[in-house]
Amino acid sequence: MSWLKSTVKGVLVALVLFFFLFPVYWLVTTAFKKSEEWFTWPPTFWPSSWTLGNFLGLEGGFFGSVTTAITTITPYLRNSIVVALFVALLSTVISALAAYAISRFKVGGMQLVSWIISVRMLPPIASALPLYVIFSRLGLINTWWALILSHLVITTPFSTWILITFFNEIPRELDEAAFVDGAGVWQSFFTVILPLTSPGLAAVATLAFIQSWGEFLLSLVLTTGKEAQTLPLYLGRFITGWRIAWGPLSAAGLVTMLPVVVFSLLAQRYLVRGLTFGAVKG
Amino acid sequence: MPPFTKTESMKIKRRFKTVGFVMLIPLFSVLLGLTLYPFGYMVYMSFFRYSLASWERPQFIGLGNYRDILSDRTATSSVDFTLLLLAVAVPLEIVLGLLIAFLLRDTFGERVFRSAILIPMMVPAVVAGIAWKMLYNFEFGPANYFLSLLGSPKVSWLGTQLFSRLGVILVDVWQWTPFVFLVLYAGLQSIPRDVVEAGLVDGASGFSAMRYIELPLLRPLLFVVLIIRVIDALKIFDIVYMVTFGGPGSSTHSYSFYIYKVGVSFGWDVGYASALSVLLLVAVALLTNLLIRTLRLKETLEL
Repeated sequence: MSWLKSTVKGVLVALVLFFFLFPVYWLVTTAFKKSEEWFTWPPTFWPSSWTLGNFLGLEGGFFGSVTTAITTITPYLRNSIVVALFVALLSTVISALAAYAISRFKVGGMQLVSWIISVRMLPPIASALPLYVIFSRLGLINTWWALILSHLVITTPFSTWILITFFNEIPRELDEAAFVDGAGVWQSFFTVILPLTSPGLAAVATLAFIQSWGEFLLSLVLTTGKEAQTLPLYLGRFITGWRIAWGPLSAAGLVTMLPVVVFSLLAQRYLVRGLTFGAVKG
Repeated sequence: MPPFTKTESMKIKRRFKTVGFVMLIPLFSVLLGLTLYPFGYMVYMSFFRYSLASWERPQFIGLGNYRDILSDRTATSSVDFTLLLLAVAVPLEIVLGLLIAFLLRDTFGERVFRSAILIPMMVPAVVAGIAWKMLYNFEFGPANYFLSLLGSPKVSWLGTQLFSRLGVILVDVWQWTPFVFLVLYAGLQSIPRDVVEAGLVDGASGFSAMRYIELPLLRPLLFVVLIIRVIDALKIFDIVYMVTFGGPGSSTHSYSFYIYKVGVSFGWDVGYASALSVLLLVAVALLTNLLIRTLRLKETLEL
C-alpha cells in the first residue's frame, strides 16, 4: 500500500509542478524558437533548433512588430534599472528609520501601524489618477521621479513591515548596553543595530527592487514615452498589436523576468513576513 | 540596580520619543504627500464634471457622478465580473494552496519544489500575461492542444464571454495559489511538532490529525490569507490588460480596468473615474479594517 500511496503522491506533485511551471517554460522556449515554430499545430514543445535571433532582432521580419527585438529595449532597460535601484535604496532607508522608531520607541502605536497596512492594501488605480493630475501640475509626468515616488507608495509599507519584525527580534538589551556605554540613539542605531539587521536590509532592498521592476499600472498612467517608461510598459505596448511577433516578445519577457526570478529566490525566506504582516514568521 | 535614576530615565524616554518622531519624518512625508493628499483631492474631484480631454473648466455637479454609476451598464458588468473572481478564483486558490501545502510537506525535494511553485507569484504580471496569451491562442495555443488530447474541440479562450472570464480566473489561480501555499506552508511548519505527535500517540490517524489538529490551528492564518486575497482580487488589472484587454466586448472588464479605461485610455474623464475609485476605496478600506482586527497586531508588534 505504501508504494501506491507514494506513486499517487508523486503523480500529484508532478501535476502541480506542471501547472505552475508550464507557462514560464513556454515563454522561455518561445524566446529561442525560430519564426516558423512560433505558430505550429501541434505546438512546438521543444524547438528543433535554438536561435538567439529573437534577442538580436533577426527573426520574423514580416511581422508588424519586429521592434520588440533587444536593440530597441535598451532605453527601457536603463529606465527600469535606474528606477528600481532608486526605489530599493530610498525605500530601505525610509523604512529602516521608521521601523526602528516603531519597534523601539512605539511611536504612533496601533494607529500608525494600521495606517501603514492600509497603504499597503490600497488599490493602485485609485492613487494613479490623482497622482497623474498632481504630477502633471508639477511637470513630473514621464520622468523617473514620477515612477520613483509613486513606487515608494507600494514598497515602503511592505519594507517597513518586514523590518519591524527584524528589529523586534534583536534584544533590547543591546541598545541599552550601547546607551550605558555612552552612545547616543543615532550612534547605537547605525553602529550596533543596523549591522545586525543586514540580512533584513538586503531582503527589503531586494523585494523593493522586485516590486518596482514589475510595477505596471502606475507606470502606465504616469509615463508616456521611452524617456521614462520601464520594461513592463514596453511589453504592454506590443501585446495589443495585431500579428504579435511572439518570439521577440517572449525574448523581451525573458529579459524582464530573469533578474526578478533570481532575486526572489534569494529573498524568499523573508517574503512571508512582509506578505502577511507578521502573522507567520516563515 | 538599574543603570539610570528615575528622573534620568524619564528624560531619556522623552528624548527617545523625539528621535523616534524624527526617524518617522521621511515615511510620513511619503505617505502624506503621495496617499492622503491625492485621496483627498480625488474625493474632491469626484463631485465635479472634470475631463482632461476637454477645455471646459471643472464644473461642480454634486453627487451626479455617483448617480451615473447606477445606470452605467459597463460599470455594473465590471462589478459582476469582479464579484465572480471573488466567488470563484479566491476560494479555489485557498483550497488548492492548502492542499498543496499538505501535499508537499515532508516530500523528498520539498525545498526545490517550494521555490519552483513560488515562481508564478514572482514573475512580473505583465510577463505572465504574455505567456498566457500565447497559451490561449485559438489556432496554435498549447491550452487547446491539451484539451484536444482529452478529446475536446478547440475553445475560443479569448473570444467568448464564458471562456475569457474563465481564462482570467485561471490565470489568477495560477498566479496567486502560490501565495496562499507559501503562507500556509510556513504556518504549518510553525505548528509545534509535539502537538501533532501527541494526537498520533493517542491513536489519531494521519488524516484526522490533519483535520482535527492542524487545520483548526491554521484557521486564524487562513482567515488572514483570505482577506488579503479578497482585497487583492478587487484590484486585478495587469493580467486583464495583458491577456484579454477587457474583451471580448466588456466581458472581462475588472473594476480597476474599467476605471483605467474611463479615466485614462478612453476619456480622461477624471471626475467620473474618481467617483468610481472612491467606491473601490471604501470597499477596500472596510476590508482592510477587518484585516487589521484579525491580525492581532498588539502581540506581533509587542505594542
